[in-house]
Amino acid sequence: MYCLSDSQIDFILNDISARGIESVSLQQDLLDHICCIIEHELEENGDFERFYLATVGSFYKSELREIEVETQHLLTHKNYYVMKKIMLYSGTFAAAVLSFGIILKFMHWPGAAVCIVLGLFALSFIFLPLLFTLKIKEKQQNTDKAILVVGAISAVLISVGVLFKIMHWPLANMMTTASLMIMLFVFLPVYFFTGIRNPQTKVNTTVSSILLLCGCGLILTLVRIPQTTHFQRLEDTAYFFRNEQILKNEQQLLSVEPQDLNAKEIYTLCESIKSQLLMKETGQKAITADFETKEALIGETWVNAYLSGGTEKNLKELQQKILAFNQANGSKSGFEPIPENAVDFWSQAKVKDALNNLVQVQMLVLQNQKILLE
Amino acid sequence: MIYSSELIKGTLKTIVLKQLENNKRMYGYEITQKVKELTSDKIQITEGALYPTLHALEADGLVTTETEYIGKRVRKYYSLSPKGKSTIDEKISELADFMNTMKFLLDIQPQTI
Repeated sequence: MYCLSDSQIDFILNDISARGIESVSLQQDLLDHICCIIEHELEENGDFERFYLATVGSFYKSELREIEVETQHLLTHKNYYVMKKIMLYSGTFAAAVLSFGIILKFMHWPGAAVCIVLGLFALSFIFLPLLFTLKIKEKQQNTDKAILVVGAISAVLISVGVLFKIMHWPLANMMTTASLMIMLFVFLPVYFFTGIRNPQTKVNTTVSSILLLCGCGLILTLVRIPQTTHFQRLEDTAYFFRNEQILKNEQQLLSVEPQDLNAKEIYTLCESIKSQLLMKETGQKAITADFETKEALIGETWVNAYLSGGTEKNLKELQQKILAFNQANGSKSGFEPIPENAVDFWSQAKVKDALNNLVQVQMLVLQNQKILLE
Repeated sequence: MIYSSELIKGTLKTIVLKQLENNKRMYGYEITQKVKELTSDKIQITEGALYPTLHALEADGLVTTETEYIGKRVRKYYSLSPKGKSTIDEKISELADFMNTMKFLLDIQPQTI
């Protein structure tokens, strides 16, 4: 039995690491293995170096690094199956939960938002990235890899964009537009022109390109262009302006100051909330006849973006006053109570609707004043 | 006759797991020697096949390792994990089934060894 010295052990370790075995764990395994063979099979006064070279030479076909490569291959192969499994499960989950969420949304049942958000999250952040990672390993050429990268980016962007859009989160329009632009002007041309050159993929490429183009076209058909938005805002502003005019005329016709303290406060609260909202939306305190030239247009902002700066406090106070007003006058004949949810703008209301609702509340105050006077 | 490495490759995981079941904990060299001895030199596991397989089994959670210092070098002992213990019967019955199918497929008459 041969007895190895420390320097011989160092020599073996250095040699196997120089031969390309980088993993420490594998180095330890091989070092011990080689030492065992030498200790068991070499005679006490045998030639260490020659025996070592013969031993290590029997470990491989062309170089020792094969063992490391094979180990790495087996380990990534294992990940490959796990990733494939997760991809399939997350894809099924995303599709099922998303479809279920859409059914709930159409039926106006609770839980729709949770399902849709979960489904789109699984789709954009688990399924699509995994699909991309697995597919890119199969591609050999750089152009194929590039197509896949661009395709994956635009696919993730479009699904995240739609998610942000329905949740009214910021940057939704930008993401969706960017993804469609990438899809149409980068992905599609590259995909089409590389695919069409190969006779085997020619037909498939053409069909997929047509489908993709039509799909993008259909989505873009549904998009409202900026010009239409401008017209819409003009119309909304004009509508509110007319309502304001009518309210002012009514108030002048009545010519009597409201007696009821609540009614008075409701009226002034509505006025101040309106001017607060208008200030934030248009930069003007009120809408005047020349709103078009001033570009002071009411848009489609959500009220809950404007609740800071005392507006929320005013709204809560207004709600209480309306309750008190309804209670105090409820028994009087001909009294028309103000709907309690008329100023409930917290969850989902747009500024234009809030403004018109406030005008209606004021009209109701005036109308009740007239009835109560008679 | 020494069996070719292609033949052994597909069964190596099962062979290693079974050795670890019988011997509690073993290091690489010991596994090769034990198999060689049991099969009267017919199955000689190569280092190039053994270590990648052991590392894959470890990554799968079927075996666990513990290290011991033997002088200047480290010896890694492999032993079955609880998951490995529960998998081994499955692996063996799969292989047995495979061997029966091969017998049928290749028209091999039952013979005594």
